[in-house]
Amino acid sequence: MKELKEQLINRIKAHFPDITVENNFNYNRFDVSINKESIHSILFYLKDVMGFKHLSDTNCVDWLEEGEFEIVFIVWSPAEKIKIFVRTRIDRNNPVLETLDMIWPQLHTYEREFREMFGIQFTGLEAPDEFILEDWQGPPPYRRDFDTAAFAAETFFERPGREDAEDVREAITKLTGEEIPEFAKKYSR
Amino acid sequence: MREKETTLYIGPQHPGITGNMMVRLKVTGDTIVKATTEVGYLHRAFEKLQEQRNWLQCFTLMCRFCVPEPDPAEESYARAVELLEGREVPERAKYIRVLVLELARLGAYMLWYGGQNGSLGLYTVGQWSVGDRNYILDLFEELTGGRVYHMYIWPGGVRRDLPKGFEEKVLRTMDYLENRLKDYDDLMFDNTIFQKRTQGIGIVSKEKAIEWGVVGPVLRGCGIKSDIRIDDPYEVYDRLDFEVPTQEGGDIWARALVRRQEVRQSIRIIRQVIEQMPSGEYYNRIPNPQKWALPKGDAYARTESVRGEVGMYIASDGGTKPRRTHFRGAAYVHGVTLLEKVLVGANISDVSPIMNSLGVCPPEIER
Repeated sequence: MKELKEQLINRIKAHFPDITVENNFNYNRFDVSINKESIHSILFYLKDVMGFKHLSDTNCVDWLEEGEFEIVFIVWSPAEKIKIFVRTRIDRNNPVLETLDMIWPQLHTYEREFREMFGIQFTGLEAPDEFILEDWQGPPPYRRDFDTAAFAAETFFERPGREDAEDVREAITKLTGEEIPEFAKKYSR
Repeated sequence: MREKETTLYIGPQHPGITGNMMVRLKVTGDTIVKATTEVGYLHRAFEKLQEQRNWLQCFTLMCRFCVPEPDPAEESYARAVELLEGREVPERAKYIRVLVLELARLGAYMLWYGGQNGSLGLYTVGQWSVGDRNYILDLFEELTGGRVYHMYIWPGGVRRDLPKGFEEKVLRTMDYLENRLKDYDDLMFDNTIFQKRTQGIGIVSKEKAIEWGVVGPVLRGCGIKSDIRIDDPYEVYDRLDFEVPTQEGGDIWARALVRRQEVRQSIRIIRQVIEQMPSGEYYNRIPNPQKWALPKGDAYARTESVRGEVGMYIASDGGTKPRRTHFRGAAYVHGVTLLEKVLVGANISDVSPIMNSLGVCPPEIER
């Protein structure tokens, strides 16, 4: 398998000399990093020329401290039984990438989700603005700097009587004067 | 007189699918001219929640991605963590994992029997199969403590060893189910209604299946032999003897025949696993979960579920919590890209059987 991976890497490098390769995995995988301008070309090449026909998954990772989003495409060759992680990074302050759904149609769905959850704009993506979120006004919620606890505290309110994790039956008793039933006393604090 | 185009909303609660999802249809008469998948009814932000939990705590959310067959998600997560960390899993745990995964497949297929037939108005099959599924759930209850959600396959192995006498119970259940399959054939596959409502309906062509990224029984129903258990084997599948059934046609009928054969193959696998089950440890203990940091990097592990490829991507920044996790379910492709295309030209009454046969599971689309 090691030789096969070397052969595949050399073939890719012959066409894309700028790539960075990571091949220290002891299973059927190697990684390729490329700039965002060449991501379309390499994915087309891998799919149409090298037989990496199946797109297993696509992910977006928010590297907040580095100011970048990393998009990872995991492609699989049914013939060679090898998977490649193809990575590209985009500026977090100006997250724009051209749409890739002409390569694999299912990327259309991924792009809609990344646009909504991470705020990445895909130029040429023709889809309704809303996918999962409805009437969402806040910042993209899957970004690392989106504080879910603060959002919940601002948006929702605590139910009266439960502010301090008080026992629910005791709270009801305090509010309504209703007695704790006999059978429930042993469960009450 | 020209027929007017009407908009029809199917869902969010609908017998064709597990969970909540809506399909907006444009119809002329009773023929669909456009279909749009609308999601957003059950998003639970699991991937965001996992960023705030340690690596072990994340495991408890895995089973909730898909109710009918929760174990492949647990398996994918456990294996992704093990790949990233380089953690070895004991042999016995690998066999037990395969046993659990195949039992889960059987359980999910029993539920599919019910769903697929229920969508055609053939309710008896569903009543039988859901009853038979209970025997599998009994096994799960004894093994894991849970009937539907198991939280059993975790990083390092499995959560507990097989109880005493469990293997015999599994074999008895397999004998029972195998004898029962003839009844399903009589009631379902030999049924004219089932044949007429499924043959030539919801066709996915071989070329389009590859182009659209279709996986699992839907792909095998197009005549393409593809199964992760064979192509990218994990655990001990490479030591087991089983076949990957395929069918030509790409319609609901072909997919049903593939699933029919896969039930038999799962029974075959389970018997081999019981026969080959080694003794020994079932768990390679992880360190204190609060201090358990994974090396910087990422990993992706995938498992063959009854709907096809189910995968888990994890990225670590070297800390005790994930930087990012992502769950890839088969329905992410089948429920949006594929469904929207296959429904065009279909009859309104075929929407539910088509959705069932494509394995559309909305919790996989919005996690």
